[in-house]
Amino acid sequence: MRSFFKMPPQVFRLVLLAVGIVVSYSTARYFLTPRSFGRYGWFRGEALVEIGSRERAYAGRKACDECHSDEFKKLLEHGHKTLSCEACHGAAQAHADNPDAVKLDKPQFSACVRCHEANPSRPKWHKQIVVKTHYTVSNCTECHVPHMPEESP
Amino acid sequence: MKSNVSRRSMISRVGAALAGLLAVLVARTVKAAVSKGLASAGAPGGYDPTQHKWVMALDANRCIGCGLCVEACKKENQVPAGPYYRTWVERYIVTKPEPGSDLARGETLVDSPDGGMRGFAQPPVPAERIQHSFFVPKLCNLCRHSPCVQACPVGATFDAPDGAVLIDPKYCIGCGFCIQACPYGCRFLSPLTRTAEKCTLCYHRITRGLKPACVEVCPTQARVFGDLKTSAPDDPIRQFYQNNLVQALKPHLGTDPRVFYAGIDKEVR
Repeated sequence: MRSFFKMPPQVFRLVLLAVGIVVSYSTARYFLTPRSFGRYGWFRGEALVEIGSRERAYAGRKACDECHSDEFKKLLEHGHKTLSCEACHGAAQAHADNPDAVKLDKPQFSACVRCHEANPSRPKWHKQIVVKTHYTVSNCTECHVPHMPEESP
Repeated sequence: MKSNVSRRSMISRVGAALAGLLAVLVARTVKAAVSKGLASAGAPGGYDPTQHKWVMALDANRCIGCGLCVEACKKENQVPAGPYYRTWVERYIVTKPEPGSDLARGETLVDSPDGGMRGFAQPPVPAERIQHSFFVPKLCNLCRHSPCVQACPVGATFDAPDGAVLIDPKYCIGCGFCIQACPYGCRFLSPLTRTAEKCTLCYHRITRGLKPACVEVCPTQARVFGDLKTSAPDDPIRQFYQNNLVQALKPHLGTDPRVFYAGIDKEVR
């Protein structure tokens, strides 16, 4: 064991310096690297949890179905079956969290024409009207049922 | 040649080397066990990002340009007001060639007023002059070889194992290199947080079993969202690939996007 330390002093100092650098680098790295770094790859794994824990604004139509299943069922059986409730009624997470305190506004005329106003850029299969020449009473729901577009009221 | 290393010192050196090796192995095992424990503790609702591969596909044949997706994205992700969009809709209008010209097509007009958030007014050219016109929803293309990830100098943007390209807001220094690097213009510097922002595929929704907000509100199913790892053959995302001829945007750049489009014309970039 003695012979190990019998290296020339200048070499010994270099070895000591190298060991010191490695130890201080490793120590600094240990304390400065976030715990979750490298869990899934070359990034902070905890970031996934943070990004994934934001508040929502849209509840999704499953949440609507929990209380409004009768209306939802009508919707699924008719032409508007691909529509989400929130497409016309607006973001509803606040209402779903607190159904009595937060009420959603009734969709207006604009909710219908937003999709059904004729526009040459729209695909031909999509049902469109020219609002000016379409038979207009005061609003769409006098002739059409939004949840059952094939039916008349 | 006689060595001046004694047998005793040789044995102790080899012993020390073996002990060191053993210590490294033990440390590695402990580290792996600890990080595994952390991984299961931190995931939202038992969500395991390694078990999913999310992807979105877009069908321009079905897009009616209502802009509900853009509005929903702004609301859901609290995107700053003004010209900042994580997703937006473009309108392409290819006019007819001038009468008597030998061209196949006229000029191409592209617009996206307010990112299409409030829908689209009548086209700027009369309907008779339009050869064809269509809407294209845009978002992060989920590149396999993301230029944004390569450009980030601090490693703040990364490819998550579940397919989303995300930004760690605590690491982002707001230098904007990624914004220049993205060939699809899908990133912006938020005036509120001073960090880069982009489509996260609504990471806070998909990790809880919901669809992204834009997909949720799309009335025509022009946006299809799915998980390539768990989807059955009749899943809408599988059906999309099966029933459509698809293309990616700017394939010549080698970014290898995972977002595919159906029904778009050669003008779309």
